[in-house]
Amino acid sequence: MSEPFEPKIVAFVCTYCTYAGADLAGTSRLKYAPNVRIIRLPCTGRISPMFILKALQKGADGVLVSGCHPGDCHFNHGNYHARRRWTVFRSLLEFTGIPQDRVKFSWISAAEGSKFAELINSVTEDFRKLGPFDQYKKLIKETETAATF
Amino acid sequence: MSTQETYKTKVKELLSSGKVKMVIGYKAGTTADRRRPHFMRTPEEVDQLVLDSACITNLSGYLLSEGLLSDGKEIAVFLKPDGIRSINILAAEAQLQSNQVVVLGFDINGSEISALQGERASDFQALTSSSNEARLHKQQHPESARLEQMTPAERFAYWEDAFSRCIKCYACRQACPMCYCRRCIVDNNQPQWVNTSSHTLGNFEWNIVRAFHLAGRCVECGNCGRACPVNIPLGLLNMKMTDEVLQSFNHYPGVSETQEPVLASFKKNDSETFIL
Repeated sequence: MSEPFEPKIVAFVCTYCTYAGADLAGTSRLKYAPNVRIIRLPCTGRISPMFILKALQKGADGVLVSGCHPGDCHFNHGNYHARRRWTVFRSLLEFTGIPQDRVKFSWISAAEGSKFAELINSVTEDFRKLGPFDQYKKLIKETETAATF
Repeated sequence: MSTQETYKTKVKELLSSGKVKMVIGYKAGTTADRRRPHFMRTPEEVDQLVLDSACITNLSGYLLSEGLLSDGKEIAVFLKPDGIRSINILAAEAQLQSNQVVVLGFDINGSEISALQGERASDFQALTSSSNEARLHKQQHPESARLEQMTPAERFAYWEDAFSRCIKCYACRQACPMCYCRRCIVDNNQPQWVNTSSHTLGNFEWNIVRAFHLAGRCVECGNCGRACPVNIPLGLLNMKMTDEVLQSFNHYPGVSETQEPVLASFKKNDSETFIL
């Protein structure tokens, strides 16, 4: 019997809300899928679309971006700027054939430890259903073999 | 007198009176249907000036050549409506002061050209507003519509094929009036955001990031697509971005120089249907 596919997920989170939320999930001893690799950044406004592309290029099957709820940003409006950027970036990804389902966005506050755990579980399930991003992985593989000689 | 002759007289006057230090226009290119940029500093050079329906390049990018505008003197430049919009954007992004730019406006209708009245980019407000209106009701490009009908996998294959041709010459960047960064993200090697080899993987990143950086700034002049030596349909990506900012934020780039850049501003009630 083959092993179920375990997606690699990269989560870019802001340090003031979602990271604190993840911390709360941990201290509350909530169990969530171990597929996620969390990368902490000062603010969602710091998350350049380049990060998302780079994560996919380095073999992530899905990317999660999460920050403070609107109005709660530590820097007042970093998340508003981020929201505009994501709106545009999502449509660009969709248009170039990188499915929107592979990049997810959410707001999770420092108090929402349980929301964090539930979200990680549900997106892991979603990405597992999607399976590996074969078209992109094929390209990655080509560059890797070229680099070995 | 033809539009070209009228403008020749006007340009000579501008140069001999010393109102502007340079006029940027067009002259004959290597083939009959091509024009190349012509930088005129003396009235004698004006004789070579050509202005006809083949003058399609957006010349506004030349204004940002290093140090060109730093002496505070004025420069006149031949611009179509899209070029005038790029002046507005560059002014809004503090790359130039629009009172240093004398606009020699013209428009192309088929094989005819007509002069546009006005001297500063701000004089063309009615024109940019009407072009905003026209863009809102513009039919979607058939190729673009065809792509949107596809599944993501098919679209990926389409772009994989297109981007596999990219040789990373960055002609699209050089030709674009909006790509003025002194140090482009692809020239950065610490960290290396975009692979320097022209493999499809890095080409994806480069072309996506290029289109993203032009979102809400592109005036759809088509310089990038014409510059591309391997005919990647770059215009489709830019068009998609313009559609997106129009739909989501009702933003049409370059309407006026007081317009806020769309990705450098926000509204508290921006739509967020996609956020979990």
